[in-house]
Amino acid sequence: MTEFQQRKIVIVGHVDHGKSTLLGRLLMDFGKVPQQTIEKVRKTCESRGVQLEPAFFLDAFQEEQEQGISIDTTRVNFEFEDHRFLLIDAPGHLEFLKNMTTGASGAETGILVIDGYEGIGSQTMRHLKILGILGVRRVIVVVNKMDKSGYSQARFEEVASEIRGHVEHEGQTCLSVVPISALKGENLSAPSENLSWYAGLPLLPQMVAHTTATAVSIAEESEHEPLRMVLQDVYRFTDERFYAGRIISGTISPGARVFFSPSGKVSTVEAIETFPAAGLNKAVKGDSVALRLKDQIFVERGEIISLPDQTPEVNNEIQAKLIWLNSEPLNWAADYLIKVGTAEVSCRLEPSNSVFSQVGNGDFVDVDIKMQKPISFDRDGRGVDKLVICTTYETVACGAIATPNPSQKVQKTKSKNIVVEAGFVKREEHEERQGHRGTVLWMTGLSGAGKSTLAKALERRLFNDGYRVAVLDGDNLRSGVCADLGFEPEDRAENIRRVAHMAKLLLNTGMVVITACISPYEKDRRLAEEVIGEADFHELFVFCPIEVCQQRDPKGLYKKASGGQINDFSGLNAPYQPPTKPRLRLDSSTMSIADEVEEIISMMKAHNLKPAPVPIGARGDLVGKP
Amino acid sequence: MNDYLTSLEHESVFIVREAYKKVKNLALLWSMGKDSTVLLHLVRKAFLGHVPIPLVHIDTSYKIPEMITWRDQYVKDHNLRLIVGQNKQALADGMGPDKGRLVCCGALKTQALLDTIKENQIGGLLLGIRRDEEGSRAKERVVSPRPEDGTWTYKDQVAEIWNHYNLHLPQDVHMRVHPLLHWTELDVWEYIERERLEIMPLYFSNADGKRYRSLGCWPCTGTIDSCATTLDAVVDEIRNTKTSERAGRAQDNADTYAMQKLRSQGYM
Repeated sequence: MTEFQQRKIVIVGHVDHGKSTLLGRLLMDFGKVPQQTIEKVRKTCESRGVQLEPAFFLDAFQEEQEQGISIDTTRVNFEFEDHRFLLIDAPGHLEFLKNMTTGASGAETGILVIDGYEGIGSQTMRHLKILGILGVRRVIVVVNKMDKSGYSQARFEEVASEIRGHVEHEGQTCLSVVPISALKGENLSAPSENLSWYAGLPLLPQMVAHTTATAVSIAEESEHEPLRMVLQDVYRFTDERFYAGRIISGTISPGARVFFSPSGKVSTVEAIETFPAAGLNKAVKGDSVALRLKDQIFVERGEIISLPDQTPEVNNEIQAKLIWLNSEPLNWAADYLIKVGTAEVSCRLEPSNSVFSQVGNGDFVDVDIKMQKPISFDRDGRGVDKLVICTTYETVACGAIATPNPSQKVQKTKSKNIVVEAGFVKREEHEERQGHRGTVLWMTGLSGAGKSTLAKALERRLFNDGYRVAVLDGDNLRSGVCADLGFEPEDRAENIRRVAHMAKLLLNTGMVVITACISPYEKDRRLAEEVIGEADFHELFVFCPIEVCQQRDPKGLYKKASGGQINDFSGLNAPYQPPTKPRLRLDSSTMSIADEVEEIISMMKAHNLKPAPVPIGARGDLVGKP
Repeated sequence: MNDYLTSLEHESVFIVREAYKKVKNLALLWSMGKDSTVLLHLVRKAFLGHVPIPLVHIDTSYKIPEMITWRDQYVKDHNLRLIVGQNKQALADGMGPDKGRLVCCGALKTQALLDTIKENQIGGLLLGIRRDEEGSRAKERVVSPRPEDGTWTYKDQVAEIWNHYNLHLPQDVHMRVHPLLHWTELDVWEYIERERLEIMPLYFSNADGKRYRSLGCWPCTGTIDSCATTLDAVVDEIRNTKTSERAGRAQDNADTYAMQKLRSQGYM
C-alpha cells in the first residue's frame, strides 16, 4: 500500500455550525489555495462589506455567497504532513439533505461539527444517523465556536458527554471530541492558549492518527472479505466475450472458478484483460476489470460474481432501513426501482411494522422491499449490501440491507381444518426433571468441513456429561424422512424446513439438539431460526477452506462433482452462503476436534445453557430457567 | 490495495462503462486538451483498446491553429470517428470576442454544442471537466442531465449516492457525464506521465520560454512563463505552483460569477 493513499472524510453537522468555515479555514491555512482564488474571495467579501469568510472558498455559487449557506456538496483534496485527505463538504439544511447524503456516501470517516454555544441541533442527530446508514461508523466530533462560548471547559464537557452518548447509541464509534474555533483557526494544527485546559491533540493530528487507523482496519477487514464483483456489461468487440465489472470486495485471479448470482451460472476465469495487455495475475477491491472466461456463458448486467463457496444471498424480498431524500413523500402504492450493485429491479415498499405512515424528506423508515424478480446481495455492512431507491430519473432514498424475510411463511398449512392441540407435558417440566435446558446447535458448512465428525464428538461429550442429546444428521435424514428430496434450491429449503421442525419437536422435550446439514442458503437458515426461536437457535459455522475439503473428500463427492457427476454441489457448482453473524465460527482446518468441542461447551456456558452436570433423572437446580 | 492514480483510473473506467451501457448515442467531447485526451485513454482502457463512441469537437474557428492540425493528425493516426460542430450562422453574422467574451462563448461554444447534440441525436457526452478547475464545476455531479436548452439546474441536483448514477434519459434531455470530476490538474499530469500519453506540444515551453497551461481560443487564452519542456518538468511545475490553472482564461474573469452563469446555460 502506498503511504499516499487518500483518506476520505466528510464534514457534517447542523445548519450554521461552521462546516464550510472549518473546511475553508483548513484550506486557507494549510492547503494549496491559489493566490488568485484567495484574492477573488477577499474582493468578494470586501464588496459585500464582510470579513474574509473561509466558507466562500467552497460556497462558490452566487446564491450561496449571498445567503451565507451551502447548497451543494463539494470535495477538495488537502494535504497535511504528507497525508492526503479528501475533504467532503456537506450542506446542513434539511432541504439539501440529498446533497449532504451524496457527499457523505463517498466517505470513510465523518467529522461532526457542533456549535459549542448552541449545542446539538436537529440536523446534528439526523446527519449522525445518516452516516450510520451509509456505513460511515467512525466519527470525530468537533465542538466549534469555542470563542463564542468563552472557551468554557464546562460547556465543552457538557456537549462532549451528550454527543458521545448519542454516537454510541447509534452503534457508531466516537473517535474523539475536539474543541476548536474554525473562524479563528484555533486548535486546528497547534494547541490554542485559550483552550489550555484541553489535554488532547489538536484536530489535524487527530485526523491523521484516526484516519490512518481507519485505513489500516479497512485494509485488514478487506483481506478476509469474500469476492464480490458486480457485472456491468458483456462486450463483444471481437469474437470473444469480455465480462466487465468492478470488484467490490475480495480478489480474483485467472484459474478461479466463479459463480454468477442470481443466474447460478458457473465458469472459470481464463484471463483478466487489460489495455494495454499486461497479463494481470490478480485484481483487487476497487478494480474495474474485464474477465475472459473458459465458457462463453450468457449472463447479463446485474449479476454478482463470487467464488462458489462464498456466494451472496438471492431473494426477491429484502428488509432495509432507509433514509428518504426527496421532497415528494414515499408513496406506498407506487412502483420504485431498487438498485443493488448493478442490478436494477422494479419493486414496492411496505412498512416493516405494518404502519403506513407518512415518510417525507429526512425521515428514516424500516421497509420490506418486494421485488419483481430476485436479486443477489449481502447484508450487515459486508460486500454488496447498499441499495438506493429511485424513480425513473431520481434517487429518492438510500439504505443498507438488514435481515432478510423468509420467502415462505413459517406456519403455512395446506389444510384450513387444522386445530393445534395443547396441554401436553411442557418443555419446562422435561427440563426440570432432567436438570438442564434444551437448545439447538445448528451446524452449517461445506461438505467435508467436518460437521458430522464434530457432531459425533460433541454428542458423546454431552451424553457423558449427563445430557439428553440428539443429532439430526443431514445424510442420515435424507435416507429416511427426507428421502424424497433432491438438491435443487427448493428441495434444500424443504429439507431444512423439515429438519427445523424436527429439531423443534425434540427441543420441546428439553433435549440438546445438534443438527449437521450443509444448509447453504441464508434464507433457509433464517427460516430455521424462526421455527426454532431465536433464543434457542445457535448457529455454528463449521468453516474449512474448500481446497482442504476437496483434499479430505471423505465421501468421494468432490471427485464426482468435479468429474461432472454431481450438478448441485454446494461450493463448487451450487452456492454456499456463509453466515454473516454465526454464534461461533470454528475453523476445522486449524482446530482439533477436542478444541472445537471445548469452544462450543464454553459458548453454551456463556449463554447460560450448561448447568453443573447432574445425574440423569435427578431434580437439580436449574441454572438458566427458560 | 492500489496506488492513488490507479484507484482514480478504475473509478473513471467504471463511470465510462456505466455511461456506455445506459446512454444511447454516447459521445466524447474532445477539446484535444490534456483532460479530454486522458478521458479518451480511459475509454480505451474501458473497452480494451476500442473506441466505440464518436468524438465531438466544437470548433469556434478561434482555436489556436496548431490545435486543429494536431487534431486532424491524431484522428487519422488513431482511426477515430470525429464530429466537428460549429455555429456557422453566428460566425457569418460576425460573432467574436469583441462582442463580449461571455456572449461569444455562449454563441460559439454553448450554442454550437447544443446544436451538434441535436443534429447528431447524441444522448450523452463524456466530458473531461474536474472539480478543482473552478467553483461551479466543483459543485457538479458525475452525471448531470441537461434539457434541450442546456440549462443546469444547479440549485436542485439529483442525489448521487455511492456509485449509483441516474442515467435514464427523459425526452429531449442529454446527459453530461464527468468521469474525471474527482481528478486534479496534478493527477492528470502525473497520469499522462505514467501512461506516456501523446499530448499536444503547446503544453510544453517554446523557445520564448512560454507554454499554455490550459488550451482554448487564441484571443482569450494566455500563455505562462515556464521552462518546462518535458513532461517531467511540467509535473514538477504543477506540483509547486500557487497560481490557478485557468488564470490565463479570460472568460473566467469577465465577472465574479462568470463561469456559473455560462455553465448554467449549458457551457461545458
